Amino acid sequence: MRLLANTTALLGKELQTEFRSRELLITTMFFVLTVITLFSITFDAAVSDPRNVGPGLLWLAILFSSSLMLQPCFLKERTNDTLSALRLSIGDPFAIFLAKLVANVCLLLVTELLALPIFAVFFNVKIMRVFPQLMLVFLLGSIGIAVTGTALSAISSQARMRELLLPMLLLPLLVPILLASTEATAALLGDSPALRWDWMAILAAFDVVFLTALWLFGEYLLEE
Amino acid sequence: MKNLDSVFAAYLIGWGIFFVFSLSVAKRAAGLKEELGRLKERLQDSARQGK
Amino acid sequence: MAKTGVYTFLVCVLMGVTAYASFYIAPTESTMGLVQRIFYLHAPSGMVSLMAFLISCIGSVAYILTRKPKWDWLAVSSAEVGVAFCTVVLLTGPIWAHPAWGVWWAWDARLTSTLVLWLLYVAFLILRTMIDDADRRALVSAFFGVFTFLDVPLVYGSIWWWRTQHPQPVVFTSAGLDPTMRKVFYLSWLSLTCLMALLIRQRYELESSREELRTLEQELEAT
Repeated sequence: MRLLANTTALLGKELQTEFRSRELLITTMFFVLTVITLFSITFDAAVSDPRNVGPGLLWLAILFSSSLMLQPCFLKERTNDTLSALRLSIGDPFAIFLAKLVANVCLLLVTELLALPIFAVFFNVKIMRVFPQLMLVFLLGSIGIAVTGTALSAISSQARMRELLLPMLLLPLLVPILLASTEATAALLGDSPALRWDWMAILAAFDVVFLTALWLFGEYLLEE
Repeated sequence: MKNLDSVFAAYLIGWGIFFVFSLSVAKRAAGLKEELGRLKERLQDSARQGK
Repeated sequence: MAKTGVYTFLVCVLMGVTAYASFYIAPTESTMGLVQRIFYLHAPSGMVSLMAFLISCIGSVAYILTRKPKWDWLAVSSAEVGVAFCTVVLLTGPIWAHPAWGVWWAWDARLTSTLVLWLLYVAFLILRTMIDDADRRALVSAFFGVFTFLDVPLVYGSIWWWRTQHPQPVVFTSAGLDPTMRKVFYLSWLSLTCLMALLIRQRYELESSREELRTLEQELEAT
């Protein structure tokens, strides 16, 4: 229960910091839109039915944006030298990861929710009839991105060229998420919408595996 | 025999990669051994001077 | 020293025998002809690279738990050797595909998975060059090494499932291997595994020498 208390306290601080300025949210949001626009322009002439490539482009945009959005996660702790203070005040390092993880999931979900209507307009897809299922896909996908991204942010903040390193490390790792989320989203937005439990299972497996790995080994990443 | 050159190319490239890897490691190891020898000498010298 | 020399010689002999078997003993495949013989280098290299990455992961976990540098040396050595074998797969693939199918690349399950695997472990190696402090580098890359290897079954599984859902003409088939072909395949797998062990050992010695150098330099500074 101490884990829950610690996590909630830290989570409150993380969310408060972000929503006070909202700069990360707004910047990420517009980056997603820019990427979707650029991708759409590139693919427009090439494909007959843009709906085929739509889900893939959406998730690619989310992936690229998150690899940038997750940079400050641990970087700001290192630059402001607050990591040691965090470790002292909160005994369990996993609580630190958990709090940042949940905050990042929230940030990702809000970004995706804001991008979804615009995506629906650009690609002429009906989202309202499958909205709850779509949200489930987004939730599982965002958890996967956030778990790996938060851990990798802790890694890259200790290295040189961190701005380039984080995407380079994160994107290959997220191939299963990209594939499964794209397929699940495409199945929901197709002519006969269906929730694909096979792809959802892969998403869930990814989340469980990496959350467990983070729980087992995460504390070593926060060592000074 | 058609495609013989493709087969040869593939095996050449494959073995080539292993060979180049091994060679580069060996070269670096040789350089290190030299450096190690030099350092050991210097250490012995300074030990002798210290006595 | 002599033992390593003998082992190296044995590996060379084994590789020579394998090459002879691949070219002369294995029967010619009916549809693809001569070029299919690349299979005896291409497929086992893929499996050996996975073995090397498994060893690397073991090294990473062992380092995290024990903090003994020798595990970090094992992790980086086997990762580098794994990348070498992976590169062989990715280069022999197109050389096989082009004469056989007219395309340089096919996004089939195995080749796509191997490409992602290659990207992951090259990322691992690049990460190591970006951290200067040896202990921090060992710990951080060990963590990433564990993460990366955990991702491997997920990558292979999701890509295989994706290809099952959206089938494409199979390019690199190993289906319908007759018994002689199978024997040559296993021989090649054995010899490449022995080669892997040799290369890992060689690279490991390099890391251990580096550490020796570092210790000596520190000793020298102390005097």
